[in-house]
Amino acid sequence: MEPREQENAMKKQRILPLVAAVLMFGSAHAFAGDVKIVANSSVRADSITVSEIRSIFLEEKRSLSDGSHVEPVLARSGAAHEAFLRQYLGKSDDALQTYYRTLVFTGTGLMPKVLDSDAAIVNYVAKTKGAIGYVSTDFPSDGTKVLAISQAGVHPGRRLITRVEPEYPETLLQLQIGGTVRLMVVIAPQGNVESVQPLGGNPILSESAIKAVKQWVYAPGPSRTTSEVSIPFDPKR
Amino acid sequence: MRRRIAKLAALCFWAGLITVHAQEFKLFDRTVQIHGFASQGFVYTNQNNWLTMHSSQGSGALTDFGVNVSMQVTDKLRIGAQGYDRNLGNLGEWHPSTDWAFADYRFKPWVGIRAGKVKTVLGLYNDTQDLDFLHTFALLPQSVYPTDLRDTTIAHLGGDVYGKVALHRHLGNVSYTAYAGRRSDSIYSGYPYLLSQFGVHFTSLGGLQYGADLRWNAPLQGLLIGASRMNEDITGKGSGVLFFNPGAGVAPYYESSKADWTNQFYGQYTRGKWRADAEYRRYLRDQIIWNGTSEDIVDVRGWYVSGAYRLMKRLEAGAYYSHYSITSVFGGALAKIAPNQTDTSLPANHIYDKVITGRVDLNRFWNVKVEGHFMDGYADSAYPDGFYPQVNPPGFKPNTNALVLKTSVNF
Repeated sequence: MEPREQENAMKKQRILPLVAAVLMFGSAHAFAGDVKIVANSSVRADSITVSEIRSIFLEEKRSLSDGSHVEPVLARSGAAHEAFLRQYLGKSDDALQTYYRTLVFTGTGLMPKVLDSDAAIVNYVAKTKGAIGYVSTDFPSDGTKVLAISQAGVHPGRRLITRVEPEYPETLLQLQIGGTVRLMVVIAPQGNVESVQPLGGNPILSESAIKAVKQWVYAPGPSRTTSEVSIPFDPKR
Repeated sequence: MRRRIAKLAALCFWAGLITVHAQEFKLFDRTVQIHGFASQGFVYTNQNNWLTMHSSQGSGALTDFGVNVSMQVTDKLRIGAQGYDRNLGNLGEWHPSTDWAFADYRFKPWVGIRAGKVKTVLGLYNDTQDLDFLHTFALLPQSVYPTDLRDTTIAHLGGDVYGKVALHRHLGNVSYTAYAGRRSDSIYSGYPYLLSQFGVHFTSLGGLQYGADLRWNAPLQGLLIGASRMNEDITGKGSGVLFFNPGAGVAPYYESSKADWTNQFYGQYTRGKWRADAEYRRYLRDQIIWNGTSEDIVDVRGWYVSGAYRLMKRLEAGAYYSHYSITSVFGGALAKIAPNQTDTSLPANHIYDKVITGRVDLNRFWNVKVEGHFMDGYADSAYPDGFYPQVNPPGFKPNTNALVLKTSVNF
């Protein structure tokens, strides 16, 4: 065996346990790793709260707090659809269909667009002003904007001013490992990030995400606030 | 001729529905959607005729359909309208109506307004009672949602204020609706049909309807608890042979409310493939009738518990117990000839209905239901609930079993 091949083999041996650990840890914290929120580029926001997602997909609102027009796009079925229902809407597909039909036939809402595949959703969202949908985290979402999930506590006036994207760890990128990292961010009144704590997700991805989020700058606010932020890592992007 | 044309239209509509899909197009760069639904039922009863049908011979006079068009004008403004038609035995008789037609402006998720003809929110299912495809059961519990009296609660011409407020993150959210408007009954509905046995024929029936509904989506996922209140002030006008002066022949007839209110309390719990509902409704109707000569105080109490389980993707089973009782107290001239009816243990003053149902979803848009009803009582009183003397001339028998087959489509 050539020295170079030996080195590669040793490298693989070192990586394999790491990968196994990563996969195990990742699957135990599969909270939001299954699905990412994609939006048309006309949507100005970079992040969206869970309650906003719920309101949009339950036809309770058609614009975000920054005024961006949004209209929901759903998948007909599939893993991403099931994950989305479980994580964000808390309804079964049957219950959701009943909900939409109740809206449509009592005049209290419209039927949202429903498409057959992740590819169709990405294609539609990329082309349609205001469209917002969801696809599997590892599905390429070229032409769309992936929204970070901000779950709680961000004061409406504390807009994210500077966002630094995390670096994708080289090893995980090569192994095509992705997922979503959840972080609890404490923001100082001046807008700088005081501290970041990981809440879930792959630990290697978390480390990279924490490094980036510590450089974020929010709009100044009256007091210290906390925000739960989700950052998707998509190896195919 | 009119009935024949209407039946033909319904048949064509049905045939079309099976092949058609929801239509969506752009108008002034805004999305316009067209949706529709239809249902057809068959009822066979072993004893009394039910719901104004000649059901003891088997009856297919259980048909309805509707079509709506809606448009999102701006992010906050939506407009739409739905036409509806039905034939239920001797009710409806294919006279189409505007089911709802309103503009809806939602300022924020926690406050919006609707103006026009709006479906009335009352309990879990009042506003969706016509939408067969949404329900496990072919007939909703008649103690709380009497289909022959649909018009008395279904909609109002007026306005709603509504919204949804998130409580503290651990306390769920609350949805509210407050409304006021005018209810307008079809003269082909249950109460006018009941009075037609006395020679009274309404030309108009309706009046003020206002109330509110409050429902709490509890932090326990799938649990909903709510309460509704509705007040009404109803006037009916027409003509009839007055019982206290039959010699005068056909004369103008009128009646009006002294008090008319409904309280309803409800809960629903869904978990996985299970769903359980429970509702209680009390309806008090104090009506001055027969041109002001008489008073009729009707006190209706209805409740049900139901459960449903989805056995397979396309098969659901359900059952409910529906409990209905009514008392009638008369005053004025009528009291001299009509005895009060206050003993709810008599079959003339109650209906206890045990129901089992199987629902098969042939696809997302088409379902078939088979349902058995086992009823004790017929509640033939001063206010109707399914059993009418006109279609039961020999009188009522105490028990009735019914088989209901129903299919519905929507797009």
